[in-house]
Amino acid sequence: MKQVVEVSKPTHELQVPVITTPKRSLVLKALRKDWQLYSLLVLPIIYLLIFKYIPMIGNVIAFRRFIPGGNIFGEEWVGLHYFQMFVGDAAFWQVFKNTLITSSLTLLFCFPAPIIIALLLNEIKSKKFKKFVQTASYLPHFLSVVIISGMILQLTSTSGAINSLIQLFGGKPILFMQDPHWFRPVYVASEVWQTMGWGAILYLAALTNIDDSLYEAAKIDGANRWKQTIHITIPGILPTVITLLILNIGNIMAVGFEKILLIYNPLNFETSDVISTYLFRIGLQSSNFSYATAIGLFESIIGLILVFSANFLSKKFTDNGLW
Amino acid sequence: MKETVQYKIFKVINVLILLLVIYVTLFPFLNVVAQSFSGQAEINAGKVNLIPKGFNLTTYQTILHDKTFWTSYRNTIVYTVLGTVIAMVMTTTFAYVLSKKRLMGRKFFTSMAIFTMFFNGGLIPNYILIKNLGWTNTIWAIVIPGAISIFNMLIMKSFFEAMPEELEEAASIDGSSTYGTFLKIILPLSKPILATMVLFYAVGNWNSWFGAFLYLDQSDKFPVTLYLRNLLAGATSGQSAGATSADDLQQIGANIKAVTMVLTVLPILMVYPFVQKYFVSGIMLGSVKQ
Amino acid sequence: MAKILKKLAFLVAIVTALSSLLAGCSSDKSSSTTASAPKDKGVAMADYGVGKTFKATKPISFTTMYNDAAWYAFKKDWLLWSEITKRTNVTLKPTVVPMSDYAQKRSLLISSGDAPLIIPKTYPGQETPFVSSGAILPISDYVKYMPNFMDKVKKWNLQPEIDNLRQADGKYYVLPGLHEEVWPDYTLAVRTDIFEKNNIAIPKTWDEFEAALKKLKEIYPDVTPFSDRWSTSGSVSPLGALLQYAAPTFGTVGGWGTSNYVTFDQDKNKFVFAGASKEYKEMLTYFNGLIKEGLLDKESLSQSDDQAVQKFVNGKSFVISSNSQEIVTMRTSMDKTLGAGKYSIAKIDVPGGPKGNVIAGSRLENGIMISAKAKDDPNFKALLQFIDWFWYSDEGEELAKWGVEGTTYKKENGKRVLMPDINFLGLNPSGTKDLRVDYGFGTGSFAYGGTTDLLQSTMSEEEVKFQDSMHQNKKVLPVNPPYPMSATDQEQATLISTPLTDTVKQNTAKFILGTRPLSEWNAYVSELKAKGMDKYLDMVNKAYQDYQKKSK
Repeated sequence: MKQVVEVSKPTHELQVPVITTPKRSLVLKALRKDWQLYSLLVLPIIYLLIFKYIPMIGNVIAFRRFIPGGNIFGEEWVGLHYFQMFVGDAAFWQVFKNTLITSSLTLLFCFPAPIIIALLLNEIKSKKFKKFVQTASYLPHFLSVVIISGMILQLTSTSGAINSLIQLFGGKPILFMQDPHWFRPVYVASEVWQTMGWGAILYLAALTNIDDSLYEAAKIDGANRWKQTIHITIPGILPTVITLLILNIGNIMAVGFEKILLIYNPLNFETSDVISTYLFRIGLQSSNFSYATAIGLFESIIGLILVFSANFLSKKFTDNGLW
Repeated sequence: MKETVQYKIFKVINVLILLLVIYVTLFPFLNVVAQSFSGQAEINAGKVNLIPKGFNLTTYQTILHDKTFWTSYRNTIVYTVLGTVIAMVMTTTFAYVLSKKRLMGRKFFTSMAIFTMFFNGGLIPNYILIKNLGWTNTIWAIVIPGAISIFNMLIMKSFFEAMPEELEEAASIDGSSTYGTFLKIILPLSKPILATMVLFYAVGNWNSWFGAFLYLDQSDKFPVTLYLRNLLAGATSGQSAGATSADDLQQIGANIKAVTMVLTVLPILMVYPFVQKYFVSGIMLGSVKQ
Repeated sequence: MAKILKKLAFLVAIVTALSSLLAGCSSDKSSSTTASAPKDKGVAMADYGVGKTFKATKPISFTTMYNDAAWYAFKKDWLLWSEITKRTNVTLKPTVVPMSDYAQKRSLLISSGDAPLIIPKTYPGQETPFVSSGAILPISDYVKYMPNFMDKVKKWNLQPEIDNLRQADGKYYVLPGLHEEVWPDYTLAVRTDIFEKNNIAIPKTWDEFEAALKKLKEIYPDVTPFSDRWSTSGSVSPLGALLQYAAPTFGTVGGWGTSNYVTFDQDKNKFVFAGASKEYKEMLTYFNGLIKEGLLDKESLSQSDDQAVQKFVNGKSFVISSNSQEIVTMRTSMDKTLGAGKYSIAKIDVPGGPKGNVIAGSRLENGIMISAKAKDDPNFKALLQFIDWFWYSDEGEELAKWGVEGTTYKKENGKRVLMPDINFLGLNPSGTKDLRVDYGFGTGSFAYGGTTDLLQSTMSEEEVKFQDSMHQNKKVLPVNPPYPMSATDQEQATLISTPLTDTVKQNTAKFILGTRPLSEWNAYVSELKAKGMDKYLDMVNKAYQDYQKKSK
């Protein structure tokens, strides 16, 4: 006897009991389960709301005419007037270009330097030497910008160390600070010098988090130091590296204002002048908060777009990201 | 054996490179320290290198004899300690919460935080906010507005995310609450990053003068950075006094920058070794029983 | 709990403010109302006038901004405060602001509506951004209640210069510090011993100066005789100080002496652009000549002040720009580097140029703004009288500068002399107390302006000699008439003028250095035109014409 088991195909009219909980109770459920977690969120979020978001309202003066001493939210709506002002200003686009180029160059050189230092230090066995190099390397971070600018001007003068070296090799002294082509190299070099030691601290912390047993296992497998670095060390600090890289890309519009202000001069404006120094000179004649705020918003939007893009790309290729 | 030779060469080059690093970083610093102890004629003549020439303590004496200097130093210490503690508590909890994948709305809250990195209201709205909270001229105006650096928070978050999930699972199986897991397990294992953040926040607080400048209008509450910045501005614009002779005036003008820097850096140099000892690896060893 | 409620209340306030913003109401803030008599509840002096010490009939207090210089840090118990209260019945309540960032905080406080009543240390011109909002008092409406101010303006013939401060509405908003005479400070400092040794006369004109430098170069071929400073500090302007005092002698403006390179042509009765004028070109040609002949150090245009001074004090240069303070500083260094008695330096009179022996300068300086809230203060009239007495009466000025006779100074043969134990700017090196640090007198917040006699009372003999010589030999040029613009026009104007100024500065440096040949001058003028020079001049001249019409 053949037994035919009829399997009735469920039609879509058949109500298959699926547990579809409305969104609201999903939220409540999560809250109840992880209430401790959410409780820890309360203070930080309140902090953000009060100290970051409320003042943001002040940005409205980018769209309203603000007169110092008048209504803090501005006097009247002017729409995109201030945005049009800087979009149509050739001088603005020149300093915008400078900001981007100087910042990108800085990022290009300043980003790898601390990583390299941290990796090099990692190979040093002598704890004393390691500590000594570490401490010495971060000292420039603490030199005030006033001192550093004085040092830069001194070093690059015709009687300074660099030109003495050039003349030793038979060359003619270069007036570094008077030539627009030399400004960026000088500036970027000073930035690398100032940040490489301090930046390395974070990577050193990341390095200590790498499980030693991984190295031991690799040694047993016959990997040499170089292979260990590629397969263990670098992946170990990769999350930190990615986080910092994305954040720094987002910060590209914020180029060090004070240092440039102290070492630039009209002879190298073509390459040295950035948005912040340009705004500073405008402000000396008439403090136009609205204009500055409009430009600030423009920079912020660019920064935000860059961060999102960088994050998106990094998630795609390395599975790591800010969020 | 081949690899050892290559590696040996590398080690030598490594040491040479790092010596070069020391040379370019330490020597300029020592030069500034030397200047702080040198006489103005020698400084103005450009004769000071690594050793003080024309040994002179006038500037140090003038500053250290000034009562206001010590008051502001004390202020800075209070601001830094309180500010760092508050910042660490807020940032660490925030970073921890946001590192938990099971948190609903995680992306939303993280975006909310990142957004604030790019948009701020500017001086006037912040000033008015503090004024309306009644915090002008109080310590809260100094330590609260800078409590969470989203930059630092995100870095901490990435560290927490890198910790193996088995740790937490093991803990919750053992019946630990979220609070407990956080305090008793995660934090002790995060010493390197915590130490780093304490350093970053402490140094940031130590060097900050802008908040004090904005919100304080009684000079006995000024931090030492503001005091020194003001000193520097006064000296370079030729308004120096507080010394009893014209000689002193110029001496101070010559090395005030250097002295200022030494006085600001000194405490940090003393604190740093304590931080360094937390950069010890192997903390994770044996913490997870597979 | 209370804190949370307070915060909620604030949030509500924010929402309310937001809604007012959404309503989009614009308010006309021009002060076109005529000023009513200042409020007074019998606190002001009934018979106040010149020569009288102001004293309020009741003890009152006024808030003021205080510019704190760290060298003489603010002290609550200074004799200054108690003496003021003793004489006038007014207690000052200072908001202490570090001098390093005074202007920024001042701007912030006014912009947030939180400014104190009295806002000192305001240079004429710095009040302009705050005018259109009505946050600052149009003081011109009320000077009739300030007899000492009016008296000095009349005595020293300052009205034309005061009128220059008028804004588009015809009123002025800052009370400037008043000087009896122009107070020149910057000029060339030379190694007088080297000049003497080689029988070179102190040059009286720029041509003589060039000849003198040439001779020095022949005698000392390894030295570039003139290495200048002040190109990179302060408001960044190539050879800022040098051009400031040289330009008037060439019939133009330059360096620190101008912020936008427009100058008034008396003959044409309109403003012209100095940066494109032939007089400016002539000046640049002169200094370019000095560079070409190796007489002026190329690095002058980019080195730091320290570097320039180093060269001078080490004998690697013989001429440098200087002011009264720097000359003393350099001397102290040179006593050590070259040896006391082995050298001598001095400020020389500014050399005359093609336009003769002229200097530019204003007799107005650092002054006071008053918050518009003063209008509603019940003691408004007393406030006006107090400010008038303290800042503009001879007695008040002397108090601010010298202190209390018998305690901090005494008069010997009509000259003011510090008490033996008190020092001030090195005038009494043996003193253990300092006039500023311990007593609060002679500070930059309150002591400015005044009679020449008062000003010179704290100058060294050498400086007094310099001042007298300059006053005798130099003619003071008239200042530019005002061209006040409306806030909207000012926005536009600034946007055009900043790139213009940048171009002028850049090319000034290039032409002087020779990196750009002067034969390209016309190309440079075309570049200025392309950047909107004519448009800017039109705006300036229109504002000038409008103002002239209004004030008729």
